[in-house]
Amino acid sequence: MASRPKIVAENVQMRFGHVTAIENVNCTINEREFVSIIGPSGCGKSTFLYLVAGFEKASGGKISIGGNPVTGPGPDRGVVFQEFVLFPWRTVLRNITLGLEIQKVPREEAEARARKWIRLTGLSGFEDAYPATLSGGMKQRVAIARALAYEPEVMLLDEPFGALDVQTKNYVIRDLQQLWIEANKTMLMVTHSVREAVLMADRVLIFGARPSSIVADVKIDLPHPRDPADPRLAAYQAEVTEILSAEVDRSMIQSRP
Amino acid sequence: MSMAQKSVSAPFAHRVIGWTVSVARPVISIGALLLIWELAVQFRWINGFLFPAPSAIFASLLADAGPGGDLWKHVGMSLYRLLAGMALAIVFGTLIGIAIGMTHWGRLIFKPIISALMPVPTLAWTPILLLIIGIDNRTTILVVFIAASFEVIYTIITGIEQMSSRVFWVARSMGATRMQIFWKVIVMGITPYLITGVKLGVGYGWRALIAAEMLAASSYGLGFMIFHASEYMAIEMIYGGIFCIAILGLLLENVVLRRIEIATVEKWGVQVER
Repeated sequence: MASRPKIVAENVQMRFGHVTAIENVNCTINEREFVSIIGPSGCGKSTFLYLVAGFEKASGGKISIGGNPVTGPGPDRGVVFQEFVLFPWRTVLRNITLGLEIQKVPREEAEARARKWIRLTGLSGFEDAYPATLSGGMKQRVAIARALAYEPEVMLLDEPFGALDVQTKNYVIRDLQQLWIEANKTMLMVTHSVREAVLMADRVLIFGARPSSIVADVKIDLPHPRDPADPRLAAYQAEVTEILSAEVDRSMIQSRP
Repeated sequence: MSMAQKSVSAPFAHRVIGWTVSVARPVISIGALLLIWELAVQFRWINGFLFPAPSAIFASLLADAGPGGDLWKHVGMSLYRLLAGMALAIVFGTLIGIAIGMTHWGRLIFKPIISALMPVPTLAWTPILLLIIGIDNRTTILVVFIAASFEVIYTIITGIEQMSSRVFWVARSMGATRMQIFWKVIVMGITPYLITGVKLGVGYGWRALIAAEMLAASSYGLGFMIFHASEYMAIEMIYGGIFCIAILGLLLENVVLRRIEIATVEKWGVQVER
């Protein structure tokens, strides 16, 4: 099934002072694809995500979304962070309607759309709860619903399951797979877990040790939604782990005095 | 203090009983103290001149509260000065706090000045204010302003430092304009800190006000009432004034502002370190 390119990165480079985090990053993420980014710690995978999100400006190269170059953050991209970053003074419902409020969508329509995502993310009943009273899994669901509610073209997730315990994580992963199928959006997810990457993504981009570029693009040719117990996943996991381990070793050697 | 689970609303009757009990406890313990005091005077265990019986104190307060008495004028004047000083502290304190917390020039200009002035006890400013302004409401209002604004500035700076840049990233990702970010993120984000700053500011401001009213020998005001009473050896009125100051201070800090704090800071689970 041919689909058009959505996110295109050309010769992207990012320097912080004297340190080059990433360079020669070239990749194309197609519409409605779910792509995972994995790599050794500190390799710059989150940096790349923030460049796509527009929070930082690339030192070199170009990133474009749907043909338009990225110049800053914007409502064509939704972001989900590891630490949830909910607004504590707003209820669940109002956190989710925030993006719509900012776009001046009338109150009734905004609430109706928010309630749809509340239902889809399993948050029904918690519309008037404040984030301080929610568990980690619930908070992340709110964050995901909040990003999806204003219908961005692309969803960017930075280690979304990092702050969740194992049991909660499995539920949220399963729900996110369902959401992705429902929402039909392009998703780019940074993770440090090979298991998560292989379970959720159509393609896994493996970043190398610093200065990182993409060392491998592993296609996961399995239908969605995927069952974590599927034996075919194990083969892909092994393949990704092998490439990743080599890069982790390389980055360890780098950091040795 | 954050809540781990969704709070359950208790039935109305339970809440009324809970509230009554929480009010009853301090009333009973203070009431017991007053009763012992009363008995001590009646049985001449203590000097009834230096420590007049609570009954006498309340009697003279009641007399001053009636027609021909000035109690309400004193209370009203003190409260007016407090509110005016707090209003100034909130406006200027917030602006300076935001300038220091968010801008480079704000930090460069204001931070050293604030840090240098902070150790000066508020009352030390009273003689200068008296010289410049004279015996006028403005002197006491400025005393409240000085006492309270440091608290407001400090808590707002803390609040801004606590706000992670990610919150701004989320808003910008949604396409928020700068005005929208100002009102929906910055203002809302610092509100809990402003409220706590105001609560602390009222505490210090009230104390400084009473003392300034005594020093500045102004007309009316609870501090003046005590000073005036001491000149005329009306000891019951001195104690009466102290009672009023204590009760009003308690109501302001622990009832009015505490309520606001509960409805906002605690509900939102924000930790305001002070």
